[in-house]
Amino acid sequence: MEAILEQYLEDTMKNPSTAGVLCTDSQWLNLGCLGTLSDERAGVISVLARQAAKLTSDPTDIPVVCLELDDGNIRNTMASHWQCTKWPL
Amino acid sequence: MGCCYSSENEDSDQDREERKLLLDPSSPPTKALNGAEPNYHSLPSARTDEQALLSSILAKTASNIIDVSAADSQGMEQHEYMDRARQYSTRLAVLSSSLTHWKKLPPLPSLTSQPHQVLASEPVPLSDLQQVSRIAAYAYSALSQIRVDAKEELVVQFGIP
Repeated sequence: MEAILEQYLEDTMKNPSTAGVLCTDSQWLNLGCLGTLSDERAGVISVLARQAAKLTSDPTDIPVVCLELDDGNIRNTMASHWQCTKWPL
Repeated sequence: MGCCYSSENEDSDQDREERKLLLDPSSPPTKALNGAEPNYHSLPSARTDEQALLSSILAKTASNIIDVSAADSQGMEQHEYMDRARQYSTRLAVLSSSLTHWKKLPPLPSLTSQPHQVLASEPVPLSDLQQVSRIAAYAYSALSQIRVDAKEELVVQFGIP
């Protein structure tokens, strides 16, 4: 029943600029992860996205969280009740 | 007359009164240039009005102002001074003991030693933001398609004759 989601995650990974993708639900449960992101990161990243969503009262606004590290960026978007994290190279 | 505060509205009484102090409408400017006499009579009255105005302003300011240096201070004896100092320090100690938990909080981490460089750096490209938002939207639609496919009966009957 999750075949469509898994297929989509694999299609996302085909993008050369994506190093990892993580999908969680509203309770920070990992629904699918590929690439350099593992399910251990699901909790932390989903909490970041959830806190970012609190900054705006517009429910249609999708906040994008950017974490800058010395070696790369993590970009995170939250859409309604779930989150998808994309880690670019 | 074209000044910044001039308007076509009717002047209030106060405005008319203020304007009278400086310009006497009874003596037009052309006559004042030729003969000093008409001006001579209006000038002392304008001056006394000005003096009255200035003195009223001075009196108002003097009543409002508090001159700290002119107030005579009551001399305090040494022991009284020490008592008061001790009293204040004990009060401060009581108050500061309740504030110690603020001192124990760790300071915010300094993320970088060059904040202006970090803030002036290039922002995240819009194409990347759009791409990530698009991925999130598509994945949300894929998530909504998760459903249970019932292929078999859950409860089956064994072939017991």
